[in-house]
Amino acid sequence: MTLSNINDKHPAGWAERDRVAALRAYGVLHSAPEAEFDDIVSLAARICEAPTALISLVDSDIQWFKARVGLDACETGRDVSFCDHAMRETEIMVVPDATLDPRFADNPLVTGDLGIRFYAGAPLVNAEGLPLGALCIIDYRPRPDGLTDLQTQTLTVLARQVISQLELRRALVLRQESQDTARRALLASEYVGAWDWDIVNDRVVADERFARMYGLDPETAVRGAPVGEFMGAMHPEDFERVNEEIQRALNGDGVFVSEYRLVVPGEPERWVLARGQVYYGPDGAPEHFPGIAVDITERKRMDASLAEVATALSESEAKFRAIADSMPQMVWSTLPDGFHDYYNARWYEFTGVAAGSTDGEGWAQIFHPEDQPRAWEVWKHSLATGELYEIEYRLRRFDGVYRWTLGRAAPIRNEAGEIIRWFGTCTDIDDLKRVEQNKELLSQELSHRIKNIFAVVSALIALSAREYPEARAFASAVRNRIGALARAHEFVRPHSDVSRPTVGSMTLHAFLEALFRPYADDSGAPRVVVDGDDALFDDQAATSVALLFHELATNAAKYGALSEAQGRVGLNTKLSGERFVLTWTEQGGPIVAGPPSHAGFGSSLATVSVEGQLAGKLERFWEPGGLIVVADLPATALSRRRAAEKSANRHPA
Amino acid sequence: MTARILIIEDEALVAMELRFVLEDLGYDVVATAGDARTARNLVREMEVDLALVDIHLSDGPTGIDLGRDLAKDEGVTVLYMTANPGMVRDGVAGTIGVLSKPTDERAVQQAVDYALRRREGEPVQLAPPELQLFA
Repeated sequence: MTLSNINDKHPAGWAERDRVAALRAYGVLHSAPEAEFDDIVSLAARICEAPTALISLVDSDIQWFKARVGLDACETGRDVSFCDHAMRETEIMVVPDATLDPRFADNPLVTGDLGIRFYAGAPLVNAEGLPLGALCIIDYRPRPDGLTDLQTQTLTVLARQVISQLELRRALVLRQESQDTARRALLASEYVGAWDWDIVNDRVVADERFARMYGLDPETAVRGAPVGEFMGAMHPEDFERVNEEIQRALNGDGVFVSEYRLVVPGEPERWVLARGQVYYGPDGAPEHFPGIAVDITERKRMDASLAEVATALSESEAKFRAIADSMPQMVWSTLPDGFHDYYNARWYEFTGVAAGSTDGEGWAQIFHPEDQPRAWEVWKHSLATGELYEIEYRLRRFDGVYRWTLGRAAPIRNEAGEIIRWFGTCTDIDDLKRVEQNKELLSQELSHRIKNIFAVVSALIALSAREYPEARAFASAVRNRIGALARAHEFVRPHSDVSRPTVGSMTLHAFLEALFRPYADDSGAPRVVVDGDDALFDDQAATSVALLFHELATNAAKYGALSEAQGRVGLNTKLSGERFVLTWTEQGGPIVAGPPSHAGFGSSLATVSVEGQLAGKLERFWEPGGLIVVADLPATALSRRRAAEKSANRHPA
Repeated sequence: MTARILIIEDEALVAMELRFVLEDLGYDVVATAGDARTARNLVREMEVDLALVDIHLSDGPTGIDLGRDLAKDEGVTVLYMTANPGMVRDGVAGTIGVLSKPTDERAVQQAVDYALRRREGEPVQLAPPELQLFA
């Protein structure tokens, strides 16, 4: 039968919950046996001449025996506890014969094997009036006379003893815990130790840790040693200064704060921060000077590293600025979002703007208005993609003149690959651009003049032929060849936008089509049909190309397919690996009997052009259906200059 | 009646040979001019049916405007003859077209023939391939 509920309030005024809490606060439940408590139950058992004596502590559900004699069990359920009753009394509870007591007659401890008959228990009540349990003796024979006066007195005194021991125990536990906490906190705080200096007798007393750090025997330190012995551990460079600081503290400051190094054999060099307070006697003289020291070695080391890094950074920054300001180009730098926050001296010299006025996005106003939209676009693209920034634009000089400038920038990335900065340059290319433009103009001018020369030469020949009528055929042939050259030249010369041939591209097929246009039939349809792979050809090949096809067409017009209205020529051009093959096939003309008896000069010219100039192979097949000519050239022959450039780019000098 | 042709070309030798070619074909070359001013003066003084106009003259690329003016103001049939047909790529209102130099005599004959027929309002036949017609 349960005697109480955790929420019950005893008539005496205490609550069960408070009682249990108080008991538990002693930290004694289920603890190991202790001599002080064992002694008490032994004495109680002897004085009361009882076989069993117990110190019983009543928890919420069980009673547990801190000390016992004459009983094996160390705990029982609360419901069978006699002590639970006893603890509520103000005096010793005596049960002369349990079998006759209605409270305990049914108790298993009475009725069962144990067979308790006599019980006497003194309540264990703590200073707050909360009952914790009981000190009791038990017999297995009833005692109608109960306890003697001595036994009663003894039990009462011993009960008070138990309480005292429990309190003492609790105090010791608390103190130990407190010390542990303090020690842990101190360990964490790198506390070195504490000292107390009796100035009058020059005796410094210090704890073990302090002693060790200062290279002193702990026992000496505990007994006390002159301050000089402690100062022996100080780094020689710090000694003077610390001495002065101590003197200043003694002479009136009262407060001592100092950082110094300790050099002790067997220990690493340490930086400590010492704080102390001077206490003065009634005569104003310093009497004693306690303090503590804290290890700040780690902090000092971090400070030093930070200082090193800061110095390195600052030097690096200085070097960068020195380089940037000495470069002939303008240099600038931006944050990852494109915010300009650095320009070198050259920028400010060139633009003449006030320092900082082009920060952020202010750079745009210095660009030529026509170039601003394009510049913005290219910059935004680079910011978004991380691609190299490169653009030509006009930049306004301090005198208002716009100069062509090449802007280039590259991103700097961190280890994670993220862009952390953009660095860029502006290079004045105005002179270069003008030279280019002039060259371009010059080149076009020259080209135009060459064209004119062709025209003049052709006219001269014709005029000369009028003087020498017998040379008319000759003159005509020459003029035609020159015409072909001139036409070829048209396709390879440098062009401005307006002079470019209306055909558009300057390729082999375009040239051939122009060359063969005169041979078109009456409806305007070409009679030389060009198909296959197109190719670019340059001025070096122009002569050869022109002459070759001029010859083939002229001969075809005189003797071959083009000499008859229905005759046609197919010209196929094919790029095959490293070779470029042109196949000229005549058909529909007069039947070919076979190769001519001797090669005409025209065919020799063609052969020389293809095999010499173009380093190819020329073959003629006199098929009955029509002449077939195959020119087999190296693929680079038509555009030798470009091939050479490409090769140079692959293998830069 | 024989057509009266004005040659506007600043290379004297080229102009001379062209003149011979045209005369051989039976046309009447009334004059040659090397710059726009001379050409304009000549047209005011004499009757011209057809002008063969080079674009680059001794006073610069004045041939384009000259051709346009002659066609519009003087009723001359204008054929451009130039090594730089790209300069009149988009055509010139009122003129026939452009012949690319260098040409041969056959092309010149066909082009001139075509232009004169157009002037007479005769049914248009096919222009020689070397002649780029303006719309």
